[in-house]
Amino acid sequence: MDKRIDFDTAAMFASDYSRTSKPVIETDGLTKQFGTVAALDDVDICIREGEFVAIMGPSGSGKTTLLNILSCLDTPSAGTYRLDGLDVSTLTEPERAVIRREKIGLVFQQFHLIPYLTALENVMLAQHYHSVADADEAMEILQSVGLSARASHLPSQLSGGEQQRVCIARALVNEPAIILADEPTGNLDEENEKLIIELLQRLHEDGRTIALVTHNPEMGALADRTIRLRHGKLDG
Amino acid sequence: MYLRMIRQSFFEGRKRKALAAITVALAAALITTLLNLSVDVGDKMAKEMKAYGSNIRVVPKSENIPLKIGGVDFNPLKGRDYLDEAELTKIKDIFWSNNIVGLAPFLDVPVEIAGKDAGRVSLIGTYFRKSMPLPSDEEYRTGVRITHPYWQVTGAWPDDESASEVLIGRSLARRLGVAAGDTIGVTRPTEGSGGSAEASYRITGILATGEAEDNAIVAPLGAVQALAGLQGKVQSVSVSALTIPENELSRKAIRDQDSLSTSEYDVWYCSAFVSSIAHQIEEAVINASARPVWQVAAGEGVVIGKLQVLMLVVTLAAFASAAMGVSSLMNTAVMERAREIGLMKALGAAEWQIHLLFLTEAVIIGVVGGILGFLAGSGLSQAVGWAVFGSSLAFHWIAVPVVIAVSVATALAGSILPARSITRLMPVEVLYGR
Repeated sequence: MDKRIDFDTAAMFASDYSRTSKPVIETDGLTKQFGTVAALDDVDICIREGEFVAIMGPSGSGKTTLLNILSCLDTPSAGTYRLDGLDVSTLTEPERAVIRREKIGLVFQQFHLIPYLTALENVMLAQHYHSVADADEAMEILQSVGLSARASHLPSQLSGGEQQRVCIARALVNEPAIILADEPTGNLDEENEKLIIELLQRLHEDGRTIALVTHNPEMGALADRTIRLRHGKLDG
Repeated sequence: MYLRMIRQSFFEGRKRKALAAITVALAAALITTLLNLSVDVGDKMAKEMKAYGSNIRVVPKSENIPLKIGGVDFNPLKGRDYLDEAELTKIKDIFWSNNIVGLAPFLDVPVEIAGKDAGRVSLIGTYFRKSMPLPSDEEYRTGVRITHPYWQVTGAWPDDESASEVLIGRSLARRLGVAAGDTIGVTRPTEGSGGSAEASYRITGILATGEAEDNAIVAPLGAVQALAGLQGKVQSVSVSALTIPENELSRKAIRDQDSLSTSEYDVWYCSAFVSSIAHQIEEAVINASARPVWQVAAGEGVVIGKLQVLMLVVTLAAFASAAMGVSSLMNTAVMERAREIGLMKALGAAEWQIHLLFLTEAVIIGVVGGILGFLAGSGLSQAVGWAVFGSSLAFHWIAVPVVIAVSVATALAGSILPARSITRLMPVEVLYGR
């Protein structure tokens, strides 16, 4: 039997808990220009500890651009971005790499698992870059996403849903300040989509801070709050 | 985890890695061959160059100025200074004795041909291929057949132990109208009241050298000594020695030996320069003056030096082309694994951690390629040795680490540009295809 994330803490999260907890993400006038096109235009958002926020909007609205900047994979052209109290908007790439491994857990639509490493080793890779790879700890995380039996399988031997769960386990293993997910169910069938939604819900209930980009209204409905973007600006 | 990744990714892109290893192996094979050749080429080439004659001439310290007319030495034999034949074994007992390929003593006596009006001709006594006793008791056969390989004989070589077999120079044979198998009588003219001596010889072959010997009779040394009454004496000795090209130190030693410091002297003495070998012969043989034959010695040095430079250039070219091949393959690897690299960066990997992964792969490719190349190159160098020099090349253990180190360096050099690609690669571009 897999060790599951503790659900008992779910009750402590009321709809207004986020107003009292500390901000994990704060942006002020966040702008991203690609040539003459403003992919993001003066975006101010705040995501607090324990919050589950869905970033939604039509294609080309700047959702992924925003997520990339929040993930410290990209830098804003203007404005400030504070992550866990630290201004990260002007950091160099090596400095942002440190922030990524210390503070952020990334979940990708394409999973991005290393094809020659097993599920367990893919999780351990994140530990390796963070500090020290610990197989026992990585196994516990895999158990928590219900994949202990598939630990020694290569990504090619896993279903899409299982691969996404490995990706989520990898994002969780270093206890990041925030989990940032880009269309986590975008490549999955309905059954697996359901599994991932349940998993994210459990993580939220467990107190994790989650921000995700999605087109999926069902997933958007699960979030505490939805940030809507249109033409690079906050919509409403 | 790092080792686990290296192990797990070992068979990823194995065709590309095999190609890279083969590229390195080809260069390593060439480098091994050239390295083996360059270590041996000095000795091999020096042996080949021995075809052009001996490179050291040993004479008595007070050798008279030659009074030669038409190739015949008219200096009176009496009162001349000679070397003792018994001293010759000492030449094979010097520090560089193994480099002494051969030696041939000479005793030149003017004679007249009985019954022919040919004037005075030289009767030269020497070793053809004579067994010489060495202090080490080993069998050592030496003589002009080793030191003067360009001497051409039509007929048979005389037996060194014979007192009546001789070679006759081709010009003299033509002049006298004699051929192999004929017998000629010689008379040694009297000097003062010494009386004359006569001898009769059977011609075993006609000698062609292109030099003074074409007008002379060449006989076993013992026979000439007996005729001249100079038992155990020789006038000069030609020595063929394997030498290394002269350098600044040896030139300094030649200019003024006393100007060398103690350490310089030791280095010079323990190097196989023609000058240091000549010096050691002078030390060993009583009353001897040993002089390098500079035309031969310098020619050897120049040719061998140029060959070694040529091989160095070819080696560098092989190194550069292999590095370029590896660079191209590694660049492909970086492109193929761009997403993987982007993911590692997204997970917070430091640049050096990703570089280390690729450089370790390059080192493995270098080691594998180096070992394969060394094995192939060893075979190739033996083939070249047999094809060019007609003998195998010695196996040099030093070539193993050198070739592997060079192969690893080649693979690493080829990874420099791909490593820059890794640095430039932005995770957001490869993960999101932006």
